[in-house]
Amino acid sequence: MNKCKIMTAQEVVSRFISDGMTVGIGGFFHSPSYAITHEIIRQKKAHLTICQPSFNEHADQMIGAGCVDRIISSYVWMEVFGPLYCFRRAMEKGIPHKIEMEDYTNFAVMARYLAGSLGVPYIPIHSMKGSDMMNYRAWHGEKKAILMRDPFGSGHEHVLVPALNPDVGYFHCQRADEEGNSQMWGIWGDMPWSMRACKQVVVSCEEIITREQIGRDPNRTIVPGYKVVGVVHAPFGAHPKHCQGYYDVDRDFIFKYIRESASEDGWKKYMDEWVYGVADRDEYAKKYVDTFGMKKFRGLKAKDMMCTSVNYGF
Amino acid sequence: MTIDYTEFTLQEIMAVAAAREIKDGEKVIIGTGLPLLGAFLAQKTHAPNMVAIYESGAIDCKPSVTPFSVADSVLVPGSAMQGGLMEGLGIVHAGELDLGFLGGAQIDKYGNLNTHVIGDYWKPKVRFAGSGGSNDIGAGCKRTIVMMLHQKQRFPEKVDFVTTPGYFGGGKEREKYGFYGDGPSVVISTLGILRFDPETKEMYLASFHTGVTVAQIKENTGWDLKVSSDIHETQRPTPELIRILREECDPTGVFLKKQ
Repeated sequence: MNKCKIMTAQEVVSRFISDGMTVGIGGFFHSPSYAITHEIIRQKKAHLTICQPSFNEHADQMIGAGCVDRIISSYVWMEVFGPLYCFRRAMEKGIPHKIEMEDYTNFAVMARYLAGSLGVPYIPIHSMKGSDMMNYRAWHGEKKAILMRDPFGSGHEHVLVPALNPDVGYFHCQRADEEGNSQMWGIWGDMPWSMRACKQVVVSCEEIITREQIGRDPNRTIVPGYKVVGVVHAPFGAHPKHCQGYYDVDRDFIFKYIRESASEDGWKKYMDEWVYGVADRDEYAKKYVDTFGMKKFRGLKAKDMMCTSVNYGF
Repeated sequence: MTIDYTEFTLQEIMAVAAAREIKDGEKVIIGTGLPLLGAFLAQKTHAPNMVAIYESGAIDCKPSVTPFSVADSVLVPGSAMQGGLMEGLGIVHAGELDLGFLGGAQIDKYGNLNTHVIGDYWKPKVRFAGSGGSNDIGAGCKRTIVMMLHQKQRFPEKVDFVTTPGYFGGGKEREKYGFYGDGPSVVISTLGILRFDPETKEMYLASFHTGVTVAQIKENTGWDLKVSSDIHETQRPTPELIRILREECDPTGVFLKKQ
């Protein structure tokens, strides 16, 4: 049976991501799917609830573009690079519109995904106890987190957090086959738990490989094809972030975004140029080369550091 | 020409102070910036058996170049194990780690940290990133080191929002929560080193950095900061430590400002 799910980013976003959905976005600094994020922005999706343990500029761009109403996360910032201004403008001044954030910790979001992936309604954690995250609750209200005494007698109270099962999830990885069997290495981020908790999954990848190649190294598969509804071939799809073994993080480009997004006008200009002004990832990559030169583009390419192969024989 | 390593900056004092807090063989979860340099320095000097862990899931990493981010690609090759957040923070949550590094927008008298908002939570004057892994590290690591920019508004008597609890209102209040972590053991600020009274859990000044006065530190603290009876200058970095820090931990000046 041929189950080819390969399609364009335009197709997966228009078919599987609808206004008002709760969307799980995969990645932790390493390998977020800009290929799909930018397409969501171009298709002007609205009223989304976006979920990820820690968000970077991809969330900032969706917030600025008006796609997001609610955020389930622990973090929206760009680490040592600096603040994310669309997030701050939305939270502080309601620009372009007011958004809500349900504040958790990085691990608490993972725990919610773990519960979601196991099909249990909640999970107890140590984090958040005694913090103001227990006192301030957005739209989840009482159901954000519940304090409960350990019924097994440790004498301590734990925080119960509810399972998180987004309507759809998307992530970027190194390689996948046409059925959606997806292999990732390096920093998994919130994977595989986030994607396992999503009702259906869309993947973008650097390379399409065969099912036979997947089967030669099945331990590297983090999402099995049966969960996946769409596969997008998107080389350079995580730029300006890194994709282990393919390209390194583009620090200059991240600093450029933070600098330009400090003002609303600067942000709009950036988006017109790098998101709205390109049709897809191929055009984006071409524009990158035209703007910064082939030398800079090639400079991002990862060095070869191959691992030794293992014997799967029996 | 021989290079002179006898001069040092406040940043370098802080990195060296952080290194000195790490004991050999400890399992340490590391952030970016000065904590990272402090941990590298410890590993290259007195703590060669330290296990360096990042929340991105890199365990026992030995990167060949200075990583810029906690999820830098250079952390992966050479690590003993690479996973994701569940691996990196799961072991923190399970109470397996000895030490974690924290920072924030505000810290108060009892070591409670705020990385959420300045002002009202619902109408923030400034909205910051949120907890990230901070609250998880504060709850799970046996002890934490807090690194802070020392300014009056960053050291208020009470934080605007408790992201990562320290000792709550002091005394034994933290104990009733049953965390694996015992709370912050030290605050390394841009002006001095502060510790917590074993009984009251109130923060006090233990030492002042070279060129800084006690009066200056008290002026930059939002409550009447107690001063240790044993107050002294922070131990100066030796030229050898400064050499290792500059030439081996951060040779390209990723974090240390070039002189």
